[in-house]
Amino acid sequence: MQQTILEIKNLSKNYGETVALAGFSLDLARGEVLGLLGPNGAGKTTLISILSGTLRGFTGSVRFLGQDLFADRRLKNRIGVVPQEMAFYEDLSAMENLMFWGGLYDIAGKERKRRAQELLERVELSARAREPVKKFSGGMKRRLNIAIGLIHRPELLLLDEPTVGIDVQAKVSILDIIRGVGGQGTSVVFTTHQLAEVEQTCSRIAIMDQGAVLAAGTLAELIRIVGEKEIVEVSGPFSADAFSEGIRRLNGDGMEILSVADGLAMLAFADSQRIPAMLQHLFQNRLAVADLKIKSPNLEAVFLKMTGRSLRD
Amino acid sequence: MSRAALIIANDLKRRLRAPMATLLFLVIPLAMTALIGAIFDPGEDNRTQLPPIKLLVVDRDQDIAARFLLGALDQKEMKEMFQVTRVDAVAGERLMRKGKASAMLVIPEHFSDDLAAQRPSTLEVVKNPAEEFLPGVAEEFAATMAVGFSAIAQVFADELKVIQGVRRLSLESVTVADLTPFLERARGKIIALKSYLSPLLLAVGEETTKKPGQEDRPAGFNIFRYILPGMLIMFLLFIVEPSLREIQNERADGKIRRMMFSPLTGLELAGARIFSGWLIGMLVALLAMAAGTLLFGIAWGSLPLQLALLAAACFWCSAFFAMLNAFFRNKNQAGAFASPVILVFSAFGGSMLPLEQLPAGMRWVGTLTVNHWYISGCTRIMDGRPPLASLAVLLASGLVFAAVAMTVLPRRLSA
Repeated sequence: MQQTILEIKNLSKNYGETVALAGFSLDLARGEVLGLLGPNGAGKTTLISILSGTLRGFTGSVRFLGQDLFADRRLKNRIGVVPQEMAFYEDLSAMENLMFWGGLYDIAGKERKRRAQELLERVELSARAREPVKKFSGGMKRRLNIAIGLIHRPELLLLDEPTVGIDVQAKVSILDIIRGVGGQGTSVVFTTHQLAEVEQTCSRIAIMDQGAVLAAGTLAELIRIVGEKEIVEVSGPFSADAFSEGIRRLNGDGMEILSVADGLAMLAFADSQRIPAMLQHLFQNRLAVADLKIKSPNLEAVFLKMTGRSLRD
Repeated sequence: MSRAALIIANDLKRRLRAPMATLLFLVIPLAMTALIGAIFDPGEDNRTQLPPIKLLVVDRDQDIAARFLLGALDQKEMKEMFQVTRVDAVAGERLMRKGKASAMLVIPEHFSDDLAAQRPSTLEVVKNPAEEFLPGVAEEFAATMAVGFSAIAQVFADELKVIQGVRRLSLESVTVADLTPFLERARGKIIALKSYLSPLLLAVGEETTKKPGQEDRPAGFNIFRYILPGMLIMFLLFIVEPSLREIQNERADGKIRRMMFSPLTGLELAGARIFSGWLIGMLVALLAMAAGTLLFGIAWGSLPLQLALLAAACFWCSAFFAMLNAFFRNKNQAGAFASPVILVFSAFGGSMLPLEQLPAGMRWVGTLTVNHWYISGCTRIMDGRPPLASLAVLLASGLVFAAVAMTVLPRRLSA
C-alpha cells in the first residue's frame, strides 16, 4: 500500500456567516494525482490556502508526512504551490524568476541553477529562458508558473486551476507536465472546473461542495455511484421550470433527472427502452426537443448527481 | 544568500534594469538646482541689474542742505542707481503726469534753515503709480536721507546755526577768531563720535573654521549649496516611495501570497523591503551629491557626517513609507496618497522655499518633515558643525515608523 503523505481531518473554516469548509476530510497517497472538483464557492481555494499556510483561523487538523503541517515552518520547503494568478516578475527572464523563487526555498545557488535548467527543459522553455517573461504567450506563462512551483522538488504540489485562460495545445502540455510530476512520486492536488482534464490526468477524484467532500475515488469507483445508466442530454427551446414540471411525472420511474437548466436537461435511464416514452411525454406537454444525445456514464453525470447543479467556468 | 538578501538583490536588479524612472529622479533635482541657481545667481559678471531710476528733483531750498542731498545723489553708486534730472515744480508735475519718471523728490523751501533750527521739515516724494518697485526705491532713499539729516541736525545743532549765520555774512567780515570756538566744539563732537563712526557701527567679519593641516580653500558664495539639499531630499522621497509601494502591487498580483507559500516570514519580507528602499535611496542620493560637487562645486563638508545624515534620512523615508503601506488597502490608495504627502513635506520642510519665507505660525509644521531636518543637518555639516539634532530626530522617528511597519506589515502580508 502507498504511503499516505497528507491527512486532512474535519477541516472547517468560516468567513463571518459564510461557511467555506465544513468538516472537510481527505487523505492523499504519495505520487497520487488528485483532482478536486467543485462548483464555484465549494471551498477549493480556501482549502488550497490553508494547505499552503497562508490562511489561518480554521479548525481541524492537517498532517503532512506524519507531522502537524503548521507546527514546523520548514515543512513549507516540501510543499509547492501553483496559484491561479501568474505570480512572478514579468520584467525578469524565466531563468531569473526560477532562481529568485528557488532562493526563497533555501536551495543553494548551483543546485538552484541546475534545477532551473532541468525545469525549463521539462516545461519546454529552454529556448526562451533568457527573455523577459512579458514577451511570453499565456501558455508559456502558465508553464513557467508551474515550473516555479516545482523548483524546490516538493513532495506535495498544490495547483489552483492551472489551465485557466489558455488554448488547447497549452492545456495538453500542462496536463502532461502534471501527469509527469505525479509519475515521479510527487503527490498532486489539482483543482479545476474542467471535468475532462480531471478524467485525463488524475488517478483519483474528489468531488466537493459546500465545504465538504461528497465523494472520492477513482473514476470507475465514482461512476458506480450513479450506476450503469444511460445519460441522455436533451436540448431545446424550453425553460427549466417548464421542463421540470412537464417531466415530473416520469421521475423515479426508471428515469432520474440529473440536472435541468433553460434549454438543457440531463437525465439518467436505467433502461434505454424508456427513452422513446420520455420523448413522447415531452411532445404531449408541448416541450420541443431540438437535440438528444445518449452518453455512457461519465464524470459529468457523477458530478451533477453529487452537486445537483451545472458547472460554470 | 539569505531570503531577505535575495529580495533586496532582486529589487535592486529590477530597479537597475528599468533605470529611466530612477534616472529622472536623479536628473530633475539637478536640473532644478541649476535652473533656480541660474535665476538667482547668474554669476559675478552678469548680476541682475535694476534699470536706472528716473528721479526728478525739485529744489525749492537752493541752500546748503539741498546741495548736500543732491551731492549724495551724485556719488558713484547713486549715479548707477538714479538718473537725476533737476526740474522746477511745474515741469516736474508735467513730466510725472506723462509718466516720464519713476518718482519726484521735492526739497521744500527753507529746508536748510529748518534743519539748522531743528524745525520739522518734509522731503516730499511723488511716486509714479504706473510703476511698482522703482518708486519705492526712491522713497526708501529719501527716507534714509531724512534719517541721516535728522541725526546731523540733532548732533550738530549749534554748529549748523553758526554756519547759517556765517553764510549770511560777507566773507571779509568773518575772522578766524570768530570761527575758532565753533571749530573747537565741532572737533570735540567729531572725536566723540569717532568711536561710533570709525569703524562704522556694524562690521561683518568672516571666519572659516579650519582643521589643523587643512589647506585654505577659496571662499565664495555658492547659491547651489542652499538649493540642492532641498531638491535632493524631495526627490529622495520620490525615489524611495515606489520601492515600498511595490508591496501593494505584489499583493494585488499574487506575488506576496506566493512568497508566503515559502518559508519566508512576513517580518523578513518587511525588513527586506525597508532595506531595499533605503539602499536605492542611498545610491541615487550619493550620485546626486557627487553630481552636485562636479557640476555646481558644492563643498559638502565632512563626508562621514554627510553619509550618516543621508543614511538617517533614507532610513526615515523608507520606514515612513513602509508604515504607510502597512495601512493602505491597495495600490490605488497608496498611489493617491504618496505624492501629496511628499509635496506637502517639501513645501513646509524647506525644499521649495526657505522656511523663513513661511508665515511664522506655520514654520513649526516644517519640523515634522524629513525635509527640514535633512536640509538643516546638511547646512550644518557644510558650515563645519555636526548635525546632531537632525541625526537624533531622523533616527528616532525612523525607528518608530520602522517598528510600526514591522509590526503591522507582516500581518497584512500574511493575510
